[in-house]
Amino acid sequence: MSGLATGAGPPGPLGRAGPVVTGVGVLSAAGRGLTALTAAAVHGKAAFGPVTRFDVTGRRTTRAALLPDAPPDAPPDALPADTARLDGPGTALPARTVPAAGAALDAIGQACRQAGLTTAEGAALPVLLALHSDESTRAIADAVAAGVRADWGAPGVTRVYTGACVAAATAVADAAALVATGRYERVLVAAVHLVGPGVFAVFDAGRALARDGELRPFSTGRSGTLLGDAAAAVLVEAAPAADRRGATALARLAGWGRAGDAHHVCRPEPEGTGVARAVEAALARAGLAPAEIGYVNANGTGSTLSDQAEARALRRVFGPYTDRLPVSSSKSVHGHALEASALLELAVTIGALESGLLPVNAGWLGPDPDVGLDLVLDGPRAARPAYALSLNSAFGGANTALLLAPG
Amino acid sequence: MTIPADDTHGLRVLAEARRPAPGLDGPPPPLPGFAASGFNPLVADTADRCLRALHGAPPAPGRTALLLASASGDLDTARAIEQSAEPGRRTGPLLFFQSNPNAVLGHIAARWGLTGPVVAISPARAEPGRVPPDAYELAALLLADGDADRVLVVAAEQTPDGDRAAAVLLAGPTA
Repeated sequence: MSGLATGAGPPGPLGRAGPVVTGVGVLSAAGRGLTALTAAAVHGKAAFGPVTRFDVTGRRTTRAALLPDAPPDAPPDALPADTARLDGPGTALPARTVPAAGAALDAIGQACRQAGLTTAEGAALPVLLALHSDESTRAIADAVAAGVRADWGAPGVTRVYTGACVAAATAVADAAALVATGRYERVLVAAVHLVGPGVFAVFDAGRALARDGELRPFSTGRSGTLLGDAAAAVLVEAAPAADRRGATALARLAGWGRAGDAHHVCRPEPEGTGVARAVEAALARAGLAPAEIGYVNANGTGSTLSDQAEARALRRVFGPYTDRLPVSSSKSVHGHALEASALLELAVTIGALESGLLPVNAGWLGPDPDVGLDLVLDGPRAARPAYALSLNSAFGGANTALLLAPG
Repeated sequence: MTIPADDTHGLRVLAEARRPAPGLDGPPPPLPGFAASGFNPLVADTADRCLRALHGAPPAPGRTALLLASASGDLDTARAIEQSAEPGRRTGPLLFFQSNPNAVLGHIAARWGLTGPVVAISPARAEPGRVPPDAYELAALLLADGDADRVLVVAAEQTPDGDRAAAVLLAGPTA
């Protein structure tokens, strides 16, 4: 990618010029594909169970939302030439290296096939990939690059995003910006997170995981989050380009916004000002008033402080309309997929818009007087929102808002 | 100020800092709350020096985005996290707080009042001590997209020959 015009200032409204999503691919604890994930989310069917992938003896929490089947191996032709070293004796690379790439490539395949992408159309396709930052990051990215070259003719992985729980949302916002500014007709965004023993151990030690083994966003008695497996991919495309190809728009990215808390290394700003600014930026890009939003898939990790700050952010932006704005956190069904979470939740939100059913905020025990949201507690709840938001926040005070309209 | 011979994608370099640098050969000062790795103190100190070069003292005005670029990542912390999963090993809670690279960016943002986007990338290729081309390109996109007025890029690498970092504070040509 080459240079862009700079110094644009605050975003102006896109009108109906926002890019469209023409393909979605998902692997989650609900199974393979968006249909299975949407069905679980709108029925509030939580997918948590005992962790069997590695030893959790001695952990405070022993549950997560894992893929129902073993993660797929990357196909042999998707592996770089020196792949032998990944599994060879004496290597320090964790064994999940190849399964993570295989899961990402499965999701990418679903998205590209749904979009009807040809290898000719994939020839200049930028691929933005969200991954956890550790010793296997580059090996996973290289294996995904080999896969997209072999399968879709793409040049490789253009950029790897490692910004924790907003990594994938940041990639989607960048993809939307690249398409909206006319730099590219289409951009593929993918992300993968498979629950592993190291991250599980430090989240457990940091008392971030729910003690009772249930993820209860915004509920009284919530005690933390639960981790989840996910691989997800979306093809973001300029609407005229999609029209020319005869590709169906599953949803439109009407706006996006990102802002920092400037508050703390990991605690959220208590009043939710950073989240609110991200939402306001997304609304400004879309040229929308707050009351035009009909559903929010909240970050809702199940953390006491984070959920409270997010609820305040929503009240700050939506005012009295908050009382009538349906909100849920689909993490309560599929778990927290960290670097892949924002793309998984964007997929759930697209599934909700397509199906006309809102995801349920599962795990609910009762109201928290500090929250005060119109939570979707029973499902399936029928609704046809004109616009929906998907929100994410991360360590470092990073906040993102992705604003969707039906296709 | 020396303008680096990088392709800045037309962006103005308002300030820069490097570590190590003449007179800065030793390790950066420890960063409270961050253990087990020199990566986070290196990122925080290099960012701080870059911001001080322009602003003198906190806060920084306007909406400044933070962009961390690191091909190596925080290797010391990554290894400590992998080891924490070994049977019988006790895991300290501090590792949770630094379990991803965004955390140290939160420290910088809080200290300087930086309210722009917080982004971290792992470029395919990086020359230790220099800002990689991918970071300039993404900074240009962030500024063009309009959620930031300035971008502080911090490039940090852990190598067998030592840790190196470079920071640049960037603005659009007319900002």
